[in-house]
Amino acid sequence: VGGAELLQFAIAGLKNGAIYALVALGFSLVYASTGVINFAQGEFYMLGGMVAVWCMRALGLPLILAVPAAVAVTVGVGALVERLALRPRRSEPALVLIIITVGVSMVLQSLARHLFGPDEMALPAFTAGPSVPFLGAAIERQTLWVWGLTALALLGLWLLYSKTKLGLAMRATAVSHDASRLCGVDTARVVMITFALAAALGALAGVAVAPLTQTAYDVGARIGLKGFAAAIVGGLGGPVAAVVGGLVLGLVESMSVAFISSTYKDAIALIVLLGVLFLRPGGLLGRSDREKV
Amino acid sequence: MARRWTALAATAVITAALALTGCTGTPGGGGGAAKEPYRIGVVVSLTGTYAGLGVPERNAIELEVERANDAGGIDGHPIMVFFEDDATDPAKAQAATTRLIEQVKVVAIIGATGTGQTMGMRGDIDRAGIPQVSMAGGNAVTAQFDPLVFQTPWPNRIVVPFTLSYLKKQGVTKVALLSDSGGYGKDGRQVVLDGVAKAGVTIVADETFNPGDTDMSAQLTKIKAAKPQAVWMWAAGKEGAIIAKNLQQIDAGGSMRLIGTPGNGRKEFVEGAGDSAEGFTFPAGRILLPESYGTDTEAYKVATDFIARYTAKYSKAPDIFAGHAYDAITIVIDALKRADAEPDDGTLGGTGAVKLRGPIETTKGLVGVGGTFTYSATDHNGLTEKDLVMYRVESGAWKLAE
Repeated sequence: VGGAELLQFAIAGLKNGAIYALVALGFSLVYASTGVINFAQGEFYMLGGMVAVWCMRALGLPLILAVPAAVAVTVGVGALVERLALRPRRSEPALVLIIITVGVSMVLQSLARHLFGPDEMALPAFTAGPSVPFLGAAIERQTLWVWGLTALALLGLWLLYSKTKLGLAMRATAVSHDASRLCGVDTARVVMITFALAAALGALAGVAVAPLTQTAYDVGARIGLKGFAAAIVGGLGGPVAAVVGGLVLGLVESMSVAFISSTYKDAIALIVLLGVLFLRPGGLLGRSDREKV
Repeated sequence: MARRWTALAATAVITAALALTGCTGTPGGGGGAAKEPYRIGVVVSLTGTYAGLGVPERNAIELEVERANDAGGIDGHPIMVFFEDDATDPAKAQAATTRLIEQVKVVAIIGATGTGQTMGMRGDIDRAGIPQVSMAGGNAVTAQFDPLVFQTPWPNRIVVPFTLSYLKKQGVTKVALLSDSGGYGKDGRQVVLDGVAKAGVTIVADETFNPGDTDMSAQLTKIKAAKPQAVWMWAAGKEGAIIAKNLQQIDAGGSMRLIGTPGNGRKEFVEGAGDSAEGFTFPAGRILLPESYGTDTEAYKVATDFIARYTAKYSKAPDIFAGHAYDAITIVIDALKRADAEPDDGTLGGTGAVKLRGPIETTKGLVGVGGTFTYSATDHNGLTEKDLVMYRVESGAWKLAE
């Protein structure tokens, strides 16, 4: 394998990795504030792409308006999911809530199939044009957008967490709901905002990827699984951990195509996931201390 | 609290009931006299990877059954068709088959959309002794011969030699394979590997991807290093457009041509791939450009009539998959017309089925949209390389390739 090819493999890995990272960010945000793995996260990704396509086809909006509209609609859906499906059962154990999110994902997927149909749909690239040559390799323009948006999301989350009062409330809620409430934090509102934020991140990923891969009503389940794996590899910690987890997973996949076999790409990624869990149960960047029983 | 649980339970029961009634029949229209309807089961992929193929198939079957019933059914017997969604899952296709046989008591089953699903149904088909007409293009469907199983698309043993002779004419001798690891790609890959030596073509790279994968640029990077003249992809789902785009990214100079299969004959592929589909070449039946039948032929009349009626009802032109379904239901209806109208004595699994296998096997010179079907005791596909043409995408539309 030559240098330019190795670079091309790395680009492919980092491209997929950045997508996994955006979805993983949604998982870890919701997990931090509620202790729940939100299995509807992949459907937010699906909704982002599908709503954007629908806005362009049915409403005739230009791309530049369709993208924010899709994110906004998905944010609304995310907030509604929290308010209507999860909050009424807030006092139940996390397992019950997780199963509710599985149900929500099925409902969202079925609705999308009925509303938008079963066919795959394409979204135009954000900036048209040929791939950008880079040291003998080539990078699609849309990939640059995916990377840019991931970096922007990471920066935005960092600012939110460290510079704003809402971020402080979110961090406090992550530590303890009861203690936060005693300090006057409206935890129910914080949890709803967290869901809306996770939905925004998922939708952003879905819109950014649709020009590369097309989108369809059923893309959520698969990307949800990958994003979940990335979040676990990263350690379900802060935003940086999720992004590292995503990039590592993407690179492992593309390198296993390069050096082992494309057939076993997904199996190899799964083995890496298991390996991480065996050696570092807290994830790559997670705390390695275990809960004492 | 208790009341809320009751409400929840009630909702669950209603949802389950709705799901069960998903298996509903389309009763015959102008049946007139109260003659026993013929029940036909259809297993298609309405969800999952092949949803884009299964939905036009269902549309075409609904259209044709409606037409047959409006014309008075078959000797006064209306046709009832029962659709089942296999969700692109062989296990669900098998379960649907059991349901159609045991509960609905169908006389024949059309389906499935995919090769893996079609093969998954075989055990139940054999046990019940009723005929199956598959719309899947996998070689195995009729190559692993079963007297009860018929097939309407061009199987890979016809598609592959046709494509290989085209490649040779074009001077392409070094080819890379990129196939999906599901039934269709696996089947096609094997037929290609068995046939290349005879055709004087070398496979210089052999990569796969999994159904649902969203990026194949790693595989294509590896393929590029092997310097093939063409990449031959086996992808019937939305992965095809991704491969076209990835190839354009990796190979900006255009040193590798992209070759496909009949599975790529969908509008969604050309739309999804955009300008990366330019120059893409694939073999398929003549339905995509009906003029290629020759405008004075019966096939042209059959196809244009079908296209017009389908477009009028669904405001969308039929693709090749709708064509496969048209052929399947037309073959079954034609066989029903020639079958004994009386139900049999129940020796075939006790379903009270009419004896339909024999009449399907004696289908002769039936002009469909995928070709002219003549089945025999040894050939349950009935098509030849003559029913295929090469298409090339130019300015976002299909043209006949040289």
